[in-house]
Amino acid sequence: MSTIYNIFVINKSGGLIYYKDFGSIAKLDTNDSLRLASVWHSLHAISSQLSPVTGCTGIELLEADTFDLHCFQTATGTKFFVTGETGAAGVDLLLKSIYELYSDYVLKNPFYEVEMPIRVELWDLNLATLIRQRERTSTGK
Amino acid sequence: MKAALRPGDAAFANVEKVNAELFTLTYGAVVRQLLTDHEDVDDVNKQLDSMGYNIGIRLIDEFLAKSNSAKCADFRETADVIAKVGFKMFLGVSPTVANWSPDGKECSLLMDDNPLVDFVELPDTCQGLSYCSILCGVLRGALEMISMRTEVRIVKDMLKGDDVYEIRMRLIETVPEELPYKDDE
Amino acid sequence: MLGVARGRAHLVNVVDRPLPKGKTEVNLSAFAFLFSELVQYFQTKVNNVNELERKLEEAGYGVGLRVLELLCHREKANRRETRLLGILTFIHSTVWKALFGKQADSLEKATTEEDEYMISEKELLVNRFISVPKDMGQFNCGAYVAGIVKGVLDSAGFPARVTAHFVPIEGQLRPRTTILIKFSPEVMLREQRMG
Repeated sequence: MSTIYNIFVINKSGGLIYYKDFGSIAKLDTNDSLRLASVWHSLHAISSQLSPVTGCTGIELLEADTFDLHCFQTATGTKFFVTGETGAAGVDLLLKSIYELYSDYVLKNPFYEVEMPIRVELWDLNLATLIRQRERTSTGK
Repeated sequence: MKAALRPGDAAFANVEKVNAELFTLTYGAVVRQLLTDHEDVDDVNKQLDSMGYNIGIRLIDEFLAKSNSAKCADFRETADVIAKVGFKMFLGVSPTVANWSPDGKECSLLMDDNPLVDFVELPDTCQGLSYCSILCGVLRGALEMISMRTEVRIVKDMLKGDDVYEIRMRLIETVPEELPYKDDE
Repeated sequence: MLGVARGRAHLVNVVDRPLPKGKTEVNLSAFAFLFSELVQYFQTKVNNVNELERKLEEAGYGVGLRVLELLCHREKANRRETRLLGILTFIHSTVWKALFGKQADSLEKATTEEDEYMISEKELLVNRFISVPKDMGQFNCGAYVAGIVKGVLDSAGFPARVTAHFVPIEGQLRPRTTILIKFSPEVMLREQRMG
């Protein structure tokens, strides 16, 4: 079973531009994924406002009973977040790699319009490879 | 000069590279096309800047994703990182940062070479062409995505007889992040 | 803008400067972003995929003309290719190496047509980061490279029709690209005469 359940990408306006589940128990239908993305976008913004520490950049990790949610917000306002097994390791590195794939296969694609939903073949292929490689090298939790 | 020098070299050393000629000749093709499509050389300059802007708003994410640069404290640091890491990472050249305004909001990037202009000479019919305008747009677009509104222009151009390429960057304002909700006023 | 030298005292004429050795490099990403922007620019100017192909070919054509000049100068061999196989090999190895850093994957003669040759790549460098949407059918940004090849051939005296095609390969997820070269009748006649 995959330690990563879902991957989400939200644009800077809070719109969901990519959602993929990895054969997990936690599949979301379109409406649910859109709603979750929108809620997360607001939560994330509120969290940096609520923080007693200055310069807070928002929630990076949410630990729940049955899953962990790791979030990475770029300086450009795009958010990459994944849900996965509790205690899954190396997810921060994974998010960074996902950001690199985005900068290569999404942003360099002349047929992709920024901020719009991502429907890019090379992104899908490389993301799947990245997750597969991770599952192969992970040492079980 | 600073630790920032090494990240630039490292960033460039680790990327996949192409022969600069493919890049230079492709840029030449872009300029040729714009000159065909527009009568006014000023329109071409604007198009080049606009194309640069479109590139910049995308390129910034690759820079952030791959350069491991820390957040800059002020515009001075930003300019330094642009010159030593940004330019180096993408174009393999590292401009000098100079001519700072007293308020630290305006500076110049100086270089005596860049891959866009190899083999290029401006014919008499295009003297008003600002060949490297695309770079200004790239900088403007990239900085806008990280909340800095700037004005970027070319003030010295070797293709026009100057002794150096000088790009002047001016920070107009830092735009705070917009929140998805507003307090009722 | 390879131009003719102008007489301005404080400018070194471009033809007097030594030719760059061709060893300068830039980040592949720099090229990729520029190329992507060129494609996007053309998309605003055309009505359909065929026109987009044409525009990219034309853009590549200008590059091809200049690449030949550059390489012939640099090679210093000053030997003009007069045979078909000669110019094809020149494109397959010298031109490809100069532009893309390596020889093309293969050069083949078509089995059914006497005047057709194919240069193929598992993946063209220009397509590295590009995913063509399904609704654009068989469109290939490699049309730019087809244009480059056509420019080189025309300039060298071997007029041809050159096009880029995706060719699905069994067992491979992504299709490879073939640059199809169809030589003009006069080229074939001349080649025959030369024996």
